[in-house]
Amino acid sequence: MGNPRVLIDGKPGSKHLLLGNEAIARGLIEGGVSVATTYPGTPASEIVDSLAAVAEEAGIYVEYSTNEKVALEVAAGASLSGLRSSTSMKMVGLNVAADALMTLGYLGVRGGMVIITADDPNCYSSQNEQDNRYYALMANIPCLEPSNPQEAKDMLLDAYRISEELELPVLYRSVTRLSHSRRPVVFGEIARPRRAEFSRDYERFVMVPANARARHVALLEKMEAAKGISDSYPRNEELGDGELGIITSGNAFNYVMDAIEKIEADASVLKLGIVHPLPEGTILGFLGEHSPVLIIEELEPLLEMRIRALANENSIGTKILGKRELSLPRHGELSIKQVALAITRALGRDPGGLRFENPALSRLDLEIPARPPVLCPGCPHRASFYAIRASGIRDAVFITDIGCYALGSLPPLSVGDVLLCMGASAGLSAGVSKATGKPVVGIVGDSTFFHASIPALINAVYNRHRYIYVVLDNMTTAMTNFQPHPGSGLDSLGRPAKRILIEEVSKGCGVEFVKVIDPFDFESAVGALREALAFDGPSVLVFRRECAILKARKAEGRGPPLSIDRFKCTGCLLCINRFGCPAITLGEGGKPSIDAMLCNGCGFCALICPQGAIGGSADED
Amino acid sequence: MRTRNVVVAGVGGQGVILFAAALANAALMSDLDASVSEIHGMAQRGGSVISHVRIGERIYSPTIPEGGADVIIGLEPLEALRSLPFSNERTLALLNTRRIVPIAALLRGPKYPELEEILGILKRFCGSVLAIDAPELAKRCGSARAENMVMLGALAGLGILPIPIESFERGIGETVPRGSLEQNLEAFKLGVEFARAQKV
Repeated sequence: MGNPRVLIDGKPGSKHLLLGNEAIARGLIEGGVSVATTYPGTPASEIVDSLAAVAEEAGIYVEYSTNEKVALEVAAGASLSGLRSSTSMKMVGLNVAADALMTLGYLGVRGGMVIITADDPNCYSSQNEQDNRYYALMANIPCLEPSNPQEAKDMLLDAYRISEELELPVLYRSVTRLSHSRRPVVFGEIARPRRAEFSRDYERFVMVPANARARHVALLEKMEAAKGISDSYPRNEELGDGELGIITSGNAFNYVMDAIEKIEADASVLKLGIVHPLPEGTILGFLGEHSPVLIIEELEPLLEMRIRALANENSIGTKILGKRELSLPRHGELSIKQVALAITRALGRDPGGLRFENPALSRLDLEIPARPPVLCPGCPHRASFYAIRASGIRDAVFITDIGCYALGSLPPLSVGDVLLCMGASAGLSAGVSKATGKPVVGIVGDSTFFHASIPALINAVYNRHRYIYVVLDNMTTAMTNFQPHPGSGLDSLGRPAKRILIEEVSKGCGVEFVKVIDPFDFESAVGALREALAFDGPSVLVFRRECAILKARKAEGRGPPLSIDRFKCTGCLLCINRFGCPAITLGEGGKPSIDAMLCNGCGFCALICPQGAIGGSADED
Repeated sequence: MRTRNVVVAGVGGQGVILFAAALANAALMSDLDASVSEIHGMAQRGGSVISHVRIGERIYSPTIPEGGADVIIGLEPLEALRSLPFSNERTLALLNTRRIVPIAALLRGPKYPELEEILGILKRFCGSVLAIDAPELAKRCGSARAENMVMLGALAGLGILPIPIESFERGIGETVPRGSLEQNLEAFKLGVEFARAQKV
């Protein structure tokens, strides 16, 4: 999809190459969504990013909320009022929204509501690999699991239908390999949006204990009835033919199909489109007709545990093979190879006959240097970290947070001793400081500050904690593709909006030492850090400078690259060993040189070079 | 037809995703099914980036199995090396020779191997190897950053995928922003010409 307009201009029946998340966005449009909210997070971000690009024209209200809990509540409010809504988030976002989620099923919804969770097996860009299908069980709401972008679009319409039939929100589970797969997707018709109307229903919508008790029973009854919907759901499909049975769902289904072809196995595959409630009748029938039955799923054995229990309840003796018997891990993502080996073993065949690796590779006697992600050339965060290191704060503990700046924990900057979850820096810093009495520096980004730091900052003032809270404000949500946030002065569609300043919020929280510094003003940055260190109480230093990528994307473009004067350079390598900009590499004669294709001319290295050897524009390369 | 698997390996910021999307769009233009699996977010910040492109009649898995690559596109030499587990003795490795040395290799740990060593290893494990100084060619159309389109042109020019040049050009048109289309197409053509002049 080169042009996001395809999402609204594409005619029914036309085919387009879409990212899974774009397909979900089209599914929302086809489903007549009126309100779509999110807090950006990989691998979910492009759902609302692509909707935002066409929202005005499509008549959809789109919102980047301050966090996932707010996002879920805004969407729920719209659905209580009769509109179709969606909220989308990465899997850990649902932890933030969990408080609202756990009771929303009691209230139920009026207009259809889809809660899209994008899980990240293998932690490609996450701090854990939790399996959010658990949330469907815990909140007791239906959960659908598409396996490819076409299904991700089509099944959204089912999700809305089921949501309205049961008057419950539906959890819609994607994974990185679906959200970030590009596949051809055939478009369907666009439904009309619903009309909004809020009508009071005290017993249903006001969860005081007396109502909550009754609504819990109502939820259980709805989900009992949902078993019928699940059993008749046409996207629970049986494919292939064989004595051996395989039950699977979502992305795992793809590996199963390829594995069966690879090893030429005769197998019957039951692919579940709905994973909560389980289509019990369908599964019992399948168990009765096949043996053994393999259960193949990514991450947690969630289908497996329940299918084993179901078989047990119904005294079905079919041999069921799951994670343990098949040696399939509860971590990471599956592969064709793992699944092929599992099926081969289950068939009693010799796995030695399977060929995957290039046999020659065992002779590769070379350690390949790692290439972890790094802060970009020109990144203002690098300058901030350099100032923190240069300020001479000794024996400090650095508590970092979720965002690009987590990369500052890597050498040579190495600012980051603890990283937990969004906004946790503010609370963790208090605990470490209280326990150790050491200097503690909390590091947080601008968007993360608004997301979850503020209650903890108030706590720090109220409970007299002492730490320096460094807010790295690059004026955007950079890691997830530069979405606006309350401090950016732009609304969700990029129009001017009220700008909420982090320094004003901090003062409002009662912080008495608050300073705003440009991290490229190196002397001031170091000075402010030293002052804050001496301050008795929580302090906030806002290091503000626009993200280098965002700047380059705007009209200004990239600055001309710098170069190093080989005669002035003494080869001290401070620029590599202490600063570590990826545009500075080791050149001839052991002296640094600047890669003109990577440098964007930010000029900070010129500022800190002890010999004043960096400057001008690159003509030597 | 047999599913063709193309591993595209490079460094975040080099245009791995654009390369893969243009290739998949080219396949669509030839009425084939195509699948691209890519990594966004944290992995894009100058880190290793790998994209799996699968082209065929019906694709299931988003990822290519180990040993299953028909082609490895190395937009960066070290990253080509890193994707060797996908190679087999028939794999074609198409290598951009521009090195981007990771900071980690400057500070500590294993050093970045010489280009000759990398080429030697690729030749040992793959069926054939073609090396291109893609940014040097791309400069002729005005921007060394169009190196990814030079590489796509080279892939197209070799004629090893069941996709004609016209479909590639239309695929690029579907993928890149209109403002840069001309430059990208020019870089693509330079790659096609380069590949056609080679014997792999």
